[in-house]
Amino acid sequence: MSATYNDIQLDALRELANIGAGNASTALSGMLGRPVDLTVPDARVVPMTQAVEEIGVPESEVTGIALGVLGDMPSVVLMLLTPADAASICALLGLEPDSEYAESALGEIGNVVGTSYLNALAGMTGLELEPTPPATATDMLSSLVQTVLASRAAVSDDALLLDSSMIVEGEGCSIVFLLSPDHGGAGELLSRLGVS
Amino acid sequence: MSDTMVRMGELAASKTVGDMLVTLGLGSCIGLVLLDRRMGVAGLAHVVLPESTGHAEVNRFKFADYAVPELIRRVVALGARRPMLEAVLVGGASMFASIGGSMEVGARNEAAVKAQLATARIRVHASATGGNRGRTVRVDPKTGIVLVREAGSKDTQLYPATLNKLPTRTLQEVA
Repeated sequence: MSATYNDIQLDALRELANIGAGNASTALSGMLGRPVDLTVPDARVVPMTQAVEEIGVPESEVTGIALGVLGDMPSVVLMLLTPADAASICALLGLEPDSEYAESALGEIGNVVGTSYLNALAGMTGLELEPTPPATATDMLSSLVQTVLASRAAVSDDALLLDSSMIVEGEGCSIVFLLSPDHGGAGELLSRLGVS
Repeated sequence: MSDTMVRMGELAASKTVGDMLVTLGLGSCIGLVLLDRRMGVAGLAHVVLPESTGHAEVNRFKFADYAVPELIRRVVALGARRPMLEAVLVGGASMFASIGGSMEVGARNEAAVKAQLATARIRVHASATGGNRGRTVRVDPKTGIVLVREAGSKDTQLYPATLNKLPTRTLQEVA
């Protein structure tokens, strides 16, 4: 299924991303005890070959937290932050960045933030979305993003990226948020919103 | 001097001096290198998934079962001699071990590429595969040197085996 989306559909996906990220930022703010701002979300369909460059510098080192999603819309939610931002978030939680707890704390943040995002989407669309436990890795951006995209690569040469950035006030650190559904999944989202 | 980027599902072959074939940050994907070092021809394929079964309408070269024969065809078209081809494999890592679905893709990609190479009777001379680290691969068609880099470290020569590795092996054999 090689799907393209028209402007109305991309607007609808953008609005979904906005509401999902709004919910997620409230959850993050609650965990960190700091206000969290949101950037305007973006919804883009890009050829898979260009997806990595759309997101960032391929060989830059990032920390990624991935949540698999099962149910009516199989997909992956990927949260990306720089190692420095991961350290500031750990510090806000009162943890040493290199301690054994840091990775599990980041995983837990990803879990709460990602699940809040998905809950907002599920609430709006009536889809069953069931997150799997988080996995955390620090590596080249390209390796993390390609691995997430690979799980969707069989059915399409395009990647649908719904992304938004959450910015923790006073720390200047941000989390980039990506939802990568397969194309059937995005079609399901759109039909629930009445713009398929 | 220029780099040819080989991105997801792409493949490239070259015999141009200084024309490096590069794939940045392989995760679960496999970078398959084919070399005829005497002829100065190299190819690089960026394999994303093991098999194309049931997915005929997308770019087939992202699948091992189409990418391997196509890469052989392209290096031979540039003058590589088929019986002299050497293979080097990079990638196939498990980046997010606990995410369902993507879990074993790296290992399955590696197995699928190896099976295709076995069918074509091409030997794997070196590999940097598996584990949980991303890898960048650079191939120089002129020299046939394959460099691999992990996040936060320097390029190391994967193939041909470097001289400073040989003495270690000799010592072990003596011991």
